Amino acid sequence: MRERGMRRLVSGNEAIFQGAIRAGAGYFAGYPISPTSEILQQAAINAEEDPKFRFLQAEDEIAAAIATISASLAGVKAFTATSGPGFTLMQEALGWGHVVEAPCVLVNSMRVGPSTGMPTQPAQSDLLQIKGGSAGDYYPIAFYPNSVEESFRLTVTAFNAAEESLSPVILLSDAFLSHLYEIVDLEGIEVEVVSRSKEPLGRGQRLFTGTAHDKIGNVKTNDPEIYREWLWELKDRHLRVAEKYPLFEYIPCQGSSTLLIAFGITSRILSPLKEGFSIFRPIRIFPILERELKEITQSYRHVIVVEGSDGQYAGWVEWAIGRKVLRVPCLGGGFKLQWIQSQIEERLKGEGG
Amino acid sequence: MIDRSYKDLLKMRRYPHTWCPGCGIGAVLKNVAMVLKELGWNHQNTVAVSGIGCSGRMAGYMNLDAVHTPHGRALTAAETIKTVRPDLNVIVLSGDGDLGSIGGNHLLHTSRRNPDITVFCNDNEIYGLTGGQAGPTTPRGTKTITSPRGEPYLPLRPGRILTQQAPYFYARTTVYHLNHFKTCIQEALLWKGFSFVDIISDCIELNGRRLGFKTAYQMFKWFDERFHIVEGVRDHLEEDELGIARAEREEVPKPMEKVEIKPEIPIEDLKPFTLKELQHFDDSEGKAIYVGYKGKVYDLSSSPLFQGEKRMRCHIAGKDLTKDIEIAPHGEDLVFKFPVVGRLK
Repeated sequence: MRERGMRRLVSGNEAIFQGAIRAGAGYFAGYPISPTSEILQQAAINAEEDPKFRFLQAEDEIAAAIATISASLAGVKAFTATSGPGFTLMQEALGWGHVVEAPCVLVNSMRVGPSTGMPTQPAQSDLLQIKGGSAGDYYPIAFYPNSVEESFRLTVTAFNAAEESLSPVILLSDAFLSHLYEIVDLEGIEVEVVSRSKEPLGRGQRLFTGTAHDKIGNVKTNDPEIYREWLWELKDRHLRVAEKYPLFEYIPCQGSSTLLIAFGITSRILSPLKEGFSIFRPIRIFPILERELKEITQSYRHVIVVEGSDGQYAGWVEWAIGRKVLRVPCLGGGFKLQWIQSQIEERLKGEGG
Repeated sequence: MIDRSYKDLLKMRRYPHTWCPGCGIGAVLKNVAMVLKELGWNHQNTVAVSGIGCSGRMAGYMNLDAVHTPHGRALTAAETIKTVRPDLNVIVLSGDGDLGSIGGNHLLHTSRRNPDITVFCNDNEIYGLTGGQAGPTTPRGTKTITSPRGEPYLPLRPGRILTQQAPYFYARTTVYHLNHFKTCIQEALLWKGFSFVDIISDCIELNGRRLGFKTAYQMFKWFDERFHIVEGVRDHLEEDELGIARAEREEVPKPMEKVEIKPEIPIEDLKPFTLKELQHFDDSEGKAIYVGYKGKVYDLSSSPLFQGEKRMRCHIAGKDLTKDIEIAPHGEDLVFKFPVVGRLK
């Protein structure tokens, strides 16, 4: 254990791992994938040093995610880390985790997709797959930091939200942020930790099933009443917990009639533009910050979403605020400030200034 | 008086159960419950895990904390629960399609990692819940709704996969050979490590009738004809044998023998070499190969690796190699096994 007050170079991946440990994680399962392999490696080393910490290098991401959720049911805080293609394999477990109500954290550090894509160029194009890649209706909570320190803090927040909502919470990162080194005193960061909320296995005669079920776990596969009651309760709980974390950053610029929306690494790259534009950075990506977006965007003539995908967040902003927004998609790992700036100018010209 | 106390292990309030009359799963569930009861395993020390399918419904009828996973993932879940909670007994109740097909990768890897869990595989050679499609264990030639001309491929043989390397425990039994069945359940539960009971079972409604059987009992008689029980501990089972194949891990092979180190001659008694003198022994014109290392001179003439133009690609004869060997991928042991002929001045 390092001393407090020791500032040192820490990567985004290490901050995520240390955040999980601070939150009390006792289990990690994963499969090697860039750019989160360092988290897997750290977990392996940590398991050697701390016999209470368990670790599995699984045969694939399917097993990694299933193991994470099973560990949570068994009675420890658990997490896994992957990138887009691995997260695609975890979708099955994600849906299962929501139905069996297993608190855990899935880290997705995004790289350019689809499929193998561009390993390992940064992207922000997994928003739709984390929101709705598994079958059926479910309401994931997702956070997205933009610095190494925030990666640490939000990992703890993700674990807390997981315990409160009884669901797999997603922590987003990107290939850039995962491998970004910044000087931080991790041990000096004060965080609040929510303790385990779910009764572990071996205490009763419950059934944890992915099949629709009633409150005591009896399988009910043909009763819409019971299904609706269950789903509305789950949705309500998730939205209530999300309400506790309405995390965003808003940097208004006086006289600007344009609001830039950016998150994760893009918001860092854009930050020099704060002299000329107002900037809004959502930190809680899902559920969408609907009220905050409505309130803040109404005083701006133009809203431009700058993101590492072809409008995956912009579409949600339009849904939330009820009007068109301008888009600057930074694709294929291209996040150069100068290019972004010229694109913004072009969009505004197209709108008549 | 028949002992029905095993019913404590079953969620009787959920009965009647979901399975067809004549299905073998009832026998699996009942016999597992009976043995658990005899062993004193209950909801305070045991967890049941299932996958998907008819067989996957079994865990939900056990009066235990039960985990009903997505299709094929029962083994991963069971292994993790055992890892996190070694205090709990973990059993898996699932089917051949779940464990052998969609969960096949986990069967390979969970068995390799050998967690102390017991797997009961209701092997009815068919996908029953979805209507009778060919499964991974469906014998070649069997007509099913997805193999109308007969299954074209050879079946998966879990016994062959699971007995490939020790330790292993693989038992094959049927729902008809009840005493044998119960013995297999008990032995498997008590085995320390990964144990797998392949229970040949019947699906009369979605497989048996198409094969020409009128009742489940006729299928049981067919099992009796197809299989025979073999006694004692085997290292593997033939395809028509019912029994237990198990093996402990063999003793870990001894580490390689250490090279004998000859008694050291005090360094001052060794013949002194200057670097210039050392350069002379560079393998040219049949001369010996000497190299310096940490103050001593070694004769590497007998090294098969130190022949030819470029010595092992990096090391050059007639030089002090102390620095080179420090950064080389191999250790210094490679040098120490050669005779010392002098010291560096």
